[in-house]
Amino acid sequence: MAPIRLSKSVFGTLRVKPNHTLPIRQRCLYHSYEHDQPPPFPEAESSILSAAMRHVPDHGFTNAALKFGARDAGYLDVSTNLLPRGVFDLINYHLVTQRLALKDSVQFPTEGQVEGKAMGVGAKVRALTLARLRANGPIIHRWQEALAIMAQPTYAPASVAELARLADEIWFLAADTSVDSSWYTKRASLSALYAASDVFMTQDTSKDFIETEQFFDARLKDVSRMGSFMGAVGEWVGYTGHSAVNVLRSKGVRI
Amino acid sequence: MSPRLPLGTHRALAAGISRIRIVQRRCASNSATGPEIYDVVCVGGGPAGLSLLAGLRASNLTRGLRVALIEGQDLYKNRLPKDASLDTFSNRCSSLTPASVKNLQEIGAWDHVNAARVQPYQEMQVWDGVSDARISFDWDSARGMSPRKPTQPTTIAYMIENVNTITTLLSRVEELGGVDIFSATKVDSIDLGKETEHADFSSWPILSLSNGKSLAARLLVGADGANSPVRTFAGIQSRGFDYNRHGVVATLKLSGPGWGGADHKIAYQRFLPSGPLAMLPLPGNMATLVWSTTPERAAKLKTLAPNDFVAMVNAGFRLSPTDLEYLHTVPSGQEDEVQWREKHTSTNERAIPVRAVDVQQGTVASFPLRMRHADTYTGERVALVGDAAHTIHPLAGQGLNQGQGDAAALVRTISHAVQTGQDIGSTIALESYNEERYAENNAMLGVCDKLHRLYSIESGPLVGLRSIGLRAVDAMGPLKGFLMGRAAGGA
Repeated sequence: MAPIRLSKSVFGTLRVKPNHTLPIRQRCLYHSYEHDQPPPFPEAESSILSAAMRHVPDHGFTNAALKFGARDAGYLDVSTNLLPRGVFDLINYHLVTQRLALKDSVQFPTEGQVEGKAMGVGAKVRALTLARLRANGPIIHRWQEALAIMAQPTYAPASVAELARLADEIWFLAADTSVDSSWYTKRASLSALYAASDVFMTQDTSKDFIETEQFFDARLKDVSRMGSFMGAVGEWVGYTGHSAVNVLRSKGVRI
Repeated sequence: MSPRLPLGTHRALAAGISRIRIVQRRCASNSATGPEIYDVVCVGGGPAGLSLLAGLRASNLTRGLRVALIEGQDLYKNRLPKDASLDTFSNRCSSLTPASVKNLQEIGAWDHVNAARVQPYQEMQVWDGVSDARISFDWDSARGMSPRKPTQPTTIAYMIENVNTITTLLSRVEELGGVDIFSATKVDSIDLGKETEHADFSSWPILSLSNGKSLAARLLVGADGANSPVRTFAGIQSRGFDYNRHGVVATLKLSGPGWGGADHKIAYQRFLPSGPLAMLPLPGNMATLVWSTTPERAAKLKTLAPNDFVAMVNAGFRLSPTDLEYLHTVPSGQEDEVQWREKHTSTNERAIPVRAVDVQQGTVASFPLRMRHADTYTGERVALVGDAAHTIHPLAGQGLNQGQGDAAALVRTISHAVQTGQDIGSTIALESYNEERYAENNAMLGVCDKLHRLYSIESGPLVGLRSIGLRAVDAMGPLKGFLMGRAAGGA
């Protein structure tokens, strides 16, 4: 295969992409069982990036890894220029593919199928989050570089958005059906937990990341303690509000 | 309460009116198989309900009302015998404030009390289990510099068994007579009545009793406790929370009458992070214990052998919260463990209660602590008193007194309605009762709730702040006097 022809086909794919992928690439802002989500990356991008990921353990999240990836996928070195955000695109690829892989990598027994106690939402969230953390395992020695790049001002918004999508994915997969204000607090607290555990994991040298697991469990306990505290505060505020109204009513104020 | 007209001028008139009414109604009820008609039907023969009835019967204005009392338990069986031995006391005791005692005197019930079983106390020692900051309540230190006047009281409150309170009030009700008492009778259902050719009962609660009788109430008073069926009938919501704490009660025998001797009794309360631990004096060498603690620890305490239980009580006033936490995890043998630990803990023995030496058999019991407050105390032909209206944390010993205050206020409200010729069951007539009691009870509930929350904290800056606050109040005589006055019932 002549390199020149291949590079053409790369251009071809990228140029054509908007036209023929548009109908199926409708952005879905919610989780749907009815529609299959389109693949998150175009084919060529995907092949370069997935090949590049294989070089990350040796070369880190660098342009070198991207270059080797392009070569492996049969593209020219220069074709990495097609990834506008360079290395961050590689990181983003990792984040997105690992997020989407969660629903296949972690399977819960459907209710009624297995004898015994069904897994609670909390246990599911824990299993999913730990699975996602473990997915960073093979590249954990390079993950600090990635975190540094993600924290750059240019990429920070995209990184945070991806973190939010991960938290959303986990709560969705855990079959959480809350539709009140806890929808937001749950996602916010899980995002914070995940980010903290993620950073902790880069320093973790224990076998099978046992210490990360312990760290995560400890934070989870903090959150539930905080949650019950906030619940108690809410209950107390509710009572005090009612009693204030009742006192006014007893004094003849018509409310 | 609005100023009342001189009683004498209206007495004859009001009493006459109500008597005529009753006669008419009696005729109506006899002519058909309809319900028996009462002016006031009180459900629940606890201290609040009995106090209300005694108050109604004792007042010249309301003596003409036809009243009934319905109590599920046998009132006569559970009476305190006059010659009851002073060696044993019930574990269910309460403190009566001077204001409550004054009210009982006014309705003429206090003469019937078994005085030998009532223990006034003159001093109260309260301290923080974490920081040991302390406050002592006695009228001498509260007064500051000025010398004590002979007329001023020295008693903070009176410890009395609940059975004594009930027997006292029941004796007074019997002495006054005129109350139809349905003892050991349950209320099967409460429904609104129907309009018949004789009378319109459509707004009247009709009570069906387990003895087959049916009563119509011009005013239905719910004195039927925390799970009040009357409150449910009236559709009044009750809000609040469970503290996830249990109160462990027991009757203890102490090694002596106390540091102040028999004439100057002292109540002790230590605020532990799990809840306050209180030892309140009873006559002689006896004392009653109220230990608010977590349900698990309460269950543990109840399973202990008597000597271990006594050791735990002594430890509760002496050892650190950490030691206590450990002692609750030991399966048995607390006595030796406490003895060893006390050797290594310095305590000022004169500042804490004298040692308990024994626990009266069968008196260790526990009950869950909760706080509830009904949205309102009155509805159409319904009034709530006592625990039916509010349930309070027992740390300040105010539950019984609130009920007595409610009963007295409701008697005043009914008297006023009778005096001015109003229907005593109408919401307008009852409004002043709710107005008088609601805010006051709410404040007391709030104070006890906040104290409980403040002292459940084990560490952090709040411990320092609350200790400073406690010591500051302790140093300021007049402020302390004011607080004591409030606790004594707004003296």
